[in-house]
Amino acid sequence: MDKLGGVFNASSPEMEAMVDLTLFIIIVAVAILGIITIAITYILIRYRRRSADTAEPRQDFGSTKVEIVWTVIPALIVGVFFFSTIKTMYAVNPPFGDREPDLVIIGHQWWWELFYPKSGVRTANEVHIPIGKKLLVRLNSVDVIHDFWVPELGPKIDLVPGHTNHIWLSASKPGVYLGACAEFCGVQHANMRIRVIAETQEDFDKWQEEHRKIPPTPTTGEAALGAKLFQEKACTNCHLTGVGPDLTHLSSRQTLAAGALENTPSNLVKWLKNPEKYKPSSYMPNMKLTDVEVNAIVAYLEALK
Amino acid sequence: MSRIPLVPEITEPLPSIRESEGLLAWVASIDHKQIGIMYLIATLFFFLVGGIEALLMRIQLVRPENDFISPEVFNQLFTMHGTTMIFFVVMPFLIGIGVYLVPLMIGARDMAFPRLNALSYWLFVLGGLLLYFSFFTQSGAPDVGWFAYTPLSEKPFTLNKGPTYWVLGLLATGIGSVASGLNNIVTIITLRTPGLTMRRLPLFVWMILVTSFLLIFVMPIITSAFAMLLLDRLLGATFFMPATGGSAILYQHFFWGFGHPEVYILILPAFGIISEVIPVFSRKPIYGYEFVAGSTVAIGLLSLGVWAHHMFAVGLGNVFNAFFAIASMLIAIPTGIKVLNWTATMWGGKIHFATPMLFAVTFLIEFVVGGLSGVAIASPPIDWQATDTYFIVAHFHYTLFGGSLFAIFAGVYYWFPKMSGRMPSERLGKWHFWLTVIGFNLTFLVQHLLGLMGMPRRVYTYHDLPYWGDMNLISTVGSLILGLSVIVFVWNIIASLRSGIPAGNNPWNAWTLEWATTSPPPVHNFDLVPPVHGRRPLWDLAHPDMPDK
Amino acid sequence: MNKNKMLVSFFIVSESIFFLMLILAYVNFHRSVTEGPTAANSLNPIKTGVFSLFLLASSLTIWFAGISLKKKNHKMLCTWLLLTILLGVTFLFGQGLEWVGLIKQNITISRNVFGTTFFTLTGFHGFHVTVGLIMLLILLGLALAGDFKGPESDAVESVSIYWHFVDGVWIVVFSVIYLWAFL
Ligand code: HEA
Ligand code: HEA
Ligand code: HEC
Ligand code: CUA
Ligand SMILES: [Cu+2]
Repeated sequence: MDKLGGVFNASSPEMEAMVDLTLFIIIVAVAILGIITIAITYILIRYRRRSADTAEPRQDFGSTKVEIVWTVIPALIVGVFFFSTIKTMYAVNPPFGDREPDLVIIGHQWWWELFYPKSGVRTANEVHIPIGKKLLVRLNSVDVIHDFWVPELGPKIDLVPGHTNHIWLSASKPGVYLGACAEFCGVQHANMRIRVIAETQEDFDKWQEEHRKIPPTPTTGEAALGAKLFQEKACTNCHLTGVGPDLTHLSSRQTLAAGALENTPSNLVKWLKNPEKYKPSSYMPNMKLTDVEVNAIVAYLEALK
Repeated sequence: MSRIPLVPEITEPLPSIRESEGLLAWVASIDHKQIGIMYLIATLFFFLVGGIEALLMRIQLVRPENDFISPEVFNQLFTMHGTTMIFFVVMPFLIGIGVYLVPLMIGARDMAFPRLNALSYWLFVLGGLLLYFSFFTQSGAPDVGWFAYTPLSEKPFTLNKGPTYWVLGLLATGIGSVASGLNNIVTIITLRTPGLTMRRLPLFVWMILVTSFLLIFVMPIITSAFAMLLLDRLLGATFFMPATGGSAILYQHFFWGFGHPEVYILILPAFGIISEVIPVFSRKPIYGYEFVAGSTVAIGLLSLGVWAHHMFAVGLGNVFNAFFAIASMLIAIPTGIKVLNWTATMWGGKIHFATPMLFAVTFLIEFVVGGLSGVAIASPPIDWQATDTYFIVAHFHYTLFGGSLFAIFAGVYYWFPKMSGRMPSERLGKWHFWLTVIGFNLTFLVQHLLGLMGMPRRVYTYHDLPYWGDMNLISTVGSLILGLSVIVFVWNIIASLRSGIPAGNNPWNAWTLEWATTSPPPVHNFDLVPPVHGRRPLWDLAHPDMPDK
Repeated sequence: MNKNKMLVSFFIVSESIFFLMLILAYVNFHRSVTEGPTAANSLNPIKTGVFSLFLLASSLTIWFAGISLKKKNHKMLCTWLLLTILLGVTFLFGQGLEWVGLIKQNITISRNVFGTTFFTLTGFHGFHVTVGLIMLLILLGLALAGDFKGPESDAVESVSIYWHFVDGVWIVVFSVIYLWAFL
């Protein structure tokens, strides 16, 4: 079962609470469905018309007593559903007071900008978190509505332009949790994926430390040429300004372009040559680079650790 | 046997095709029966179009990383599919069958305002044309989803003209629906034959009445929101543009303030159909008439206060969410009353499994599946997982297809003899039924699981995660079987129109007034209306020894 | 109740909800306008208040028209109808002045949310007044041609209900836009 995602692999206390509630309500619902189905099947068999018989059956107009019974029973069930809903809702989404966020996520068509205010780390599309800690995440969008959703870690929440949201994020065991943008946000909504990499506190601290540093610009070989081209070809117009994802530690990411491609040097080459092919209509333009230029830039980007 | 004459509302017979032959006679008609039939034909057409759009989507989704359809086209397909099915299939079908039946069921000659009735119909057609015209514009059809959330649907993010046509088309049909609602209300209040008190009104008419009130209450909500969106798009107003001071969330309140009652507009008349079909084929009166009618009013009222259950993930706070959660869950109670009363109606009856009854009985189970998943997602913590996934897609296809559409099929088979004078083929009807049941459940049952496993909706492609491919394959196979079932259905209609056996006035031995006249009814509907002393006038006629109370 | 009047009454229920939504939009944004034109810094409550009186008066005149109809006083019916139309036109003229004044200061529907909500709300109201005036003109034309001898007429009564409604909406709109900003 652990190959399956979503409710089948709850990996945070929030998600576990949600799954408990889901299971409870679904079991009751299936029971109600079962009772109704069995009742109807029984009636259909028992009271089917037998061809010889043409007399009309006894005419029966109803009974207030029966009506009251089947108003009160569902009302009680609904009451129980509501009570457990409220309990779970406050457990999953307690108020955050005036605590500062640990992570800021900003939605873009069609990638995620990530910022850790406490350490100043800036990255994209891949969230790193330490396990066993509840992070407070603040969410916003610069263009249309997106929705942050990592099924195994709990609730989803919209990223709404002009409206700030908060959510608690945690993971109880290390692993890579796949997620996606869940609110339809335009052409490439399907390729706006996110992943959360949950790791031990030490690994997380190491990651954060590395990402705080700006890697030295290579001065020799292909990579140096790439560094130069990266400036000349106007990549920085977008990639240093927040229009495109931050590329400072690109090679440490697992995927490219919000999950459209795996992050390998050869895929990076393909992506730079023709982004349109791998993520049609995305806002990363085809920069019309020559093979030499592409290879140089890739060498440069690979050197950024 | 004493028969009392009709309410002398309209004295001269209304113009109709039977006076002058040809197409113009239909186009210019203001006869409620012709208009009703035109509604049904147009909705069948739109159903085929919307269905083909669905099939194309299913083919694209048949395996991971498929590239049969480009993302732009896929987005247009689900937008057009959803819009078409809701606004140009289920809604006008139910309005149309209401237009056909309400005057007959209450013993009137026509609607209160026959010309307004024709206007409603043609506004609906105009809306459909405007919507589909967008396919011929340079950038294609709208691609922002059937609820066109702002700011995505605003000019800066969707330059193409699709959403503009979409808004215009829906404004036109929307105004038409308000007119139908008004017309129905006045007709039902003023044109009932003597003796047909509100407490004796056929349940179908009751449900149409409540639906009509919902129409006049909630259509203006969306009309004003669409007007605002149009002003934003065309004149640079800034209602829903956060960048210039507008609010993205306000649109959602408006849309769902309409959108949720809308889903009851799509189901209440369907409940009405079920409430007519089940008693007749069980040979018993409806169990608990007052409760079935009263629960409809309760549903109508509750439905006005639950809209934000579509917005649990917007981040509006726990208290807010809790209110809308309980309001939504409460709807389970009146709906449950209905389901249980229908079930009790069959208890102790003599059930005749003709095609209408097959669809009606299956409706009960399929709809309850959809209703129960609805109650589950009315719980915010569950919805935080389920919203915008295939679980929701499964929920609303179980309510809309398993609910509304199954009832519509039941209604079509039930009233086909009345409208055409010929019986539909039982053999083809059963084929249609079984193919629909199998295809429908194959298509949509697995989508619950897909959603719970994390598949978002409105994605044109997906990664090859464990079992996703297999389940989507099952779903696509199911949809192809559904396609086949629809072909059988259309074939049945055509074949039965040509060579079905003549039906006679009352082939199902039913009890409401529409069965007291010929099939198809004459232009003026009735020469004489039987006396109405109870809920089942034709039962009273046939059983003078044991009339209803 | 007569079916024509019933139709108009329910129609008005539906229309009220339409206006309610426009008003809610206005109210929703009322506080969020922090810079640029607002109701308080760009509208003229006195002038509009005066023109509003014309619209209020027209409700009275159409009421008198109804009374004349009942009394079968055909001539007075025509006079009251004419007066109603003149009052309505004057009100629209006042609205026109207000709009032109704003547009001259470059306050338009696309300027900010105040412009957006203000022009939409008053625009839709003005549109309804215009529709009402067209119906009144038709009534007047028919009356002059000899129709409406009384004592009853669904047409006159229905248009009259509609006109009172348009007037009522204005009272709410005026209160929300003008009184709220200046009181
Ligand atoms: C015919 C249409 C129809 C109907 C009837 C319903 C009925 C209900 N719906 Fe559904 N719904 C839709 C059509 C419909 N819905 C559509 C189209 C959408 C999605 C729009 C979109 O996003 O594209 C949607 C989405 C939707 C959502 C939002 C999901 C999301 O986007 O996150 C929710 C959440 O609360 C919801 C809830 C309900 C509930 C509580 C009912 C209730 O009315 C159900 C009541 C019925 C029963 C419960 C069964 C019978 C009762 C009993 C047998 C008694 C015993 C039962 C109990 C005690 C529980 N619906
Ligand atoms: C009443 C409403 C209704 C109905 C009946 C249907 C019917 C179907 N729906 Fe639809 N659906 C919606 C309402 C409806 N849907 C809505 C509101 C949405 C949301 C849209 C959005 O997200 O914006 C949606 C979304 C939706 C999706 C999700 C898309 C996405 O999120 O990416 C899917 C995917 O499987 C789907 C599938 C189907 C299928 C297979 C059918 C089948 O049942 C269709 C059966 C019909 C046919 C198969 C037609 C057969 C015709 C022929 C075979 C041609 C014969 C030709 C001639 C005779 C000329 N629908
Ligand atoms: C017009 C703005 C723009 C310019 C110029 C631009 N990019 Fe991009 N780039 C983007 C955007 C937007 C994305 C995100 C695409 C997506 O995922 O939808 C992106 C994505 C990328 C990615 C993948 C990033 C990731 O996190 O997965 C790489 C690598 C990249 N660009 C490299 C380059 C290089 C090299 C150049 C110059 C030769 C360049 N870009 C020029 C806008 C731009
Ligand atoms: Cu971002 Cu969908
Ligand atoms: Cu709803």
